Amino acid sequence: MQGPRFTRILRDITAVLVVGIFMFPIFWWGLTSIKPISAIFNKDEVVFFDFEPTLVNYQVVLFGKSRAELAIESGSTFGVGGGSTYDSRKTILDSTLVAVGSTALTVFLGVIAAYALSRINFRGRQAYLNWILSQRFMPPIAIIVPIVFMYHYAGLRDTITGLIFIHTLINLPIAVLLMKSFFDDVPVDVDEAAMLDGATRFQIFRKVILPLVTGGVAATAVLCFVFSWTEFLLSLFLTNQIRTLPVKISTFVTSTGSEWGFISALGTSAIVPSFIFILLVQKQLVRGLTLGSLKD
Amino acid sequence: MSQATVAIRPARGFVLPRFLTSEHPFPWLAPITAVLLIFGVYPLLYALWLSLHKRNPATRISIFDPEYNWLKILTDDRMWGAIGHTYLYTIVAIAIELVLGLLIALLLDTDRRGYGVLRALMTLPLVVPPAVTGMMFLLMMDGSFGVLSRGLYATGLLSPSTPILANSSTALTGILIADVWQWTPFMVLIMMAGLRALPKDPYEAAAIDGATPVQAFFKLTLPMLSKIIAIAVLIRGVDLFRTFDYVKVMTEGGPGTATETLTAYAGTIYFKNADFPYASTIALMTLILVVVTSSLFIKIFKVRF
Repeated sequence: MQGPRFTRILRDITAVLVVGIFMFPIFWWGLTSIKPISAIFNKDEVVFFDFEPTLVNYQVVLFGKSRAELAIESGSTFGVGGGSTYDSRKTILDSTLVAVGSTALTVFLGVIAAYALSRINFRGRQAYLNWILSQRFMPPIAIIVPIVFMYHYAGLRDTITGLIFIHTLINLPIAVLLMKSFFDDVPVDVDEAAMLDGATRFQIFRKVILPLVTGGVAATAVLCFVFSWTEFLLSLFLTNQIRTLPVKISTFVTSTGSEWGFISALGTSAIVPSFIFILLVQKQLVRGLTLGSLKD
Repeated sequence: MSQATVAIRPARGFVLPRFLTSEHPFPWLAPITAVLLIFGVYPLLYALWLSLHKRNPATRISIFDPEYNWLKILTDDRMWGAIGHTYLYTIVAIAIELVLGLLIALLLDTDRRGYGVLRALMTLPLVVPPAVTGMMFLLMMDGSFGVLSRGLYATGLLSPSTPILANSSTALTGILIADVWQWTPFMVLIMMAGLRALPKDPYEAAAIDGATPVQAFFKLTLPMLSKIIAIAVLIRGVDLFRTFDYVKVMTEGGPGTATETLTAYAGTIYFKNADFPYASTIALMTLILVVVTSSLFIKIFKVRF
């Protein structure tokens, strides 16, 4: 749009302002994580930059510093108690294992299924695709109570394996539909040429087609990782000891007061990996979010 | 996969059945079908079976009583309240996110320098764990030291005696703000993709005919985007209908039951009352409402994936 200079400047200002408003909560969150307690809970005024930055919140949630040590250092006993519960090192490890494990499983299962759905003609293919799509639309609450029972009997409750399976279930429809759209982009001529050379379907898939869609596989993997990393409801129902990050953070809110310093420090740590990953797959994001139906 | 490698080896008189070779879809689709059946379909049938039981909270024994929960749910005022909150929340959130998303997409859709960075920043809220988003807004909406609350007090839009989340008439709006913050970028991204795919010719023709940009938007852009809008609304709507994370961390459904959505209600029945059969019934009712509503939507707006 080549309007007059004034309109262009007005547009620039509006755009920066709008994006600024959307960035504010993240900025405020990060800022809170380096504030001392007195600045966070200041009831007289909102503290923006008038405070001594501290890394103490990160020391507690990421490096396991106990709150008793904190109290001794600061010479006050304010807020002492429940020291070990804020140490989140194990939570980060659990979350990473679940996200990586379910991403690997989802991508493996999804890619081979998507290849067949893209290339092999069979009766009921459209119906099968619709069934996969319908799985995406099913609210997780509908299956979670029976899953809790099933896991109880199978010994999968409170295990990383159990969470990997359920996150795989949730991500599979997205992975299949997304990967199918990437396979559909590769012309069928490529398969046919290889077939004339006597290659089997599996050889074609492994040696010819898969190397052509590595970008798509990477995008699918990133989305699966992010969905697993941010998932809340299923992890909440299925675990007591093993905690994924979102669930762990939610336990920091208590009726007697929330430890906002620790919460925001862990919260900030939780969103950094997501941000890095999502910036890597900007180009495929729209396709991923619309289950492959819209290409950018 | 092992079947496939076996198939290509010249077997000593042993030939694999055709459905186990890689020419047949079976070996490709069997693993995913198994996962979906075990973890998706079987639990659904199990939930239906559970919902046909009546649980005695004192003895913790469930007995088969097929009508009990399904009759109870029809006369459960709290259930109707949850259905009302869920539909209200879904419709209002979609409307706001769609309109805002479209406007911001139009604003950011230009090749000018610096806008690429703005577009990338705009996607960040999407990947914040929703539970963390809920916490962010819980902090900002805190009645005494929350930055958003204090801003609203200062402008006189809100009084310190009635904090957003502690007041039953504004609590749902508070949750809605978190949702709008997180998911408007979803609409922005999709609308931008839609705008970029639009043909240029109709706009040139309209400009020659003397149409204003506003007219061009309503007569050309909106109709041409309608297919994409329908897909975006469907995907977002299905997700909004299952809203749980924000409610759980921000209000726990309260004050009272003012912000209780269907999923949150089922969660409460599960965690607080341990009434598993009734929680399953509520969950299945949610599924039925999703299926009916989204099918109607797909029919009316002729959505095709």
